[in-house]
Amino acid sequence: MNMQPTLSNEVLAWIGSEKVRRYEVTAHDIRRFAQAIGDSEPAVADDGAVVAPVLFCQAFMFDDVPAHELPTDGSPKELDLPIPATRTVGGSSEFEVLGAVRSRDVITIRAKLKDVVIKHGKSGTLYLVVVETRFENQLGVAVAREVATYVKRT
Amino acid sequence: MSIHTTHAASTVPDARAFELRVTPDRTQLFAFGAITWNRHKIHFDRAHAMAEGYPDVVVQRGLLGNFLARAVAAWAGPEARIERLSWKVLRSAFPDRELSCQGEVSAVWEDRGERLFECVLRIVDPDGLRVADGAARVRFQ
Repeated sequence: MNMQPTLSNEVLAWIGSEKVRRYEVTAHDIRRFAQAIGDSEPAVADDGAVVAPVLFCQAFMFDDVPAHELPTDGSPKELDLPIPATRTVGGSSEFEVLGAVRSRDVITIRAKLKDVVIKHGKSGTLYLVVVETRFENQLGVAVAREVATYVKRT
Repeated sequence: MSIHTTHAASTVPDARAFELRVTPDRTQLFAFGAITWNRHKIHFDRAHAMAEGYPDVVVQRGLLGNFLARAVAAWAGPEARIERLSWKVLRSAFPDRELSCQGEVSAVWEDRGERLFECVLRIVDPDGLRVADGAARVRFQ
């Protein structure tokens, strides 16, 4: 008899689902992001637009949901899946930089639950939650794509 | 730093290995959590982090990636373009502990008259333990 955990139909139904949201990039956001990563002043283009650090799209990774909608540990709503795991930690990231992001850009974010993989580690069962996020500017040009894997465990 | 919209010819650095040392503190973790709207308590609530088995609040995966991006950008110079960056967290990092963000060129090739460099990356903690492994692809125009 197989006692290994499996994914519920509810989780399987979520895989492939996508959420779309849109943000306007401000110079203020870019400067704060640069300061948060310990960078110096961000570059300024000839037209006065502030050019964002390469991983700036991380600023738009998580949706603006109110705190009471988050799991009790405050982890991102995007990772709040009906699986028997309560602890979450960031695992890995593959980030493609496809174009520059500048102040006054309007970025469309498409976040998709790409997969949930069950692994059996030394500390028990791990659930690898894979989220693909694509970022496109107001001209319809792709500026970044990230595939991030989060680790959830009991 | 970061990517640029200009197309001036970039100078390929002579060094084939590079390092950036950073010491994230709680203020930096707070600031990065705020700008990325990441309210996961393991990053700012020490009691919660300890209840989950960590000795302190945990440096965000995303912030570690930015440290690697800064290391690559500092080596490559302002006109080079980071096209791809990947990293995998192997163990947690904690505030007020210096991290050595290291890189080394692993391959060089040409594409449309431009040079591309592949770099292997790693982050090492003060105990010499590997916090993250990664890779970057950088284009010199």
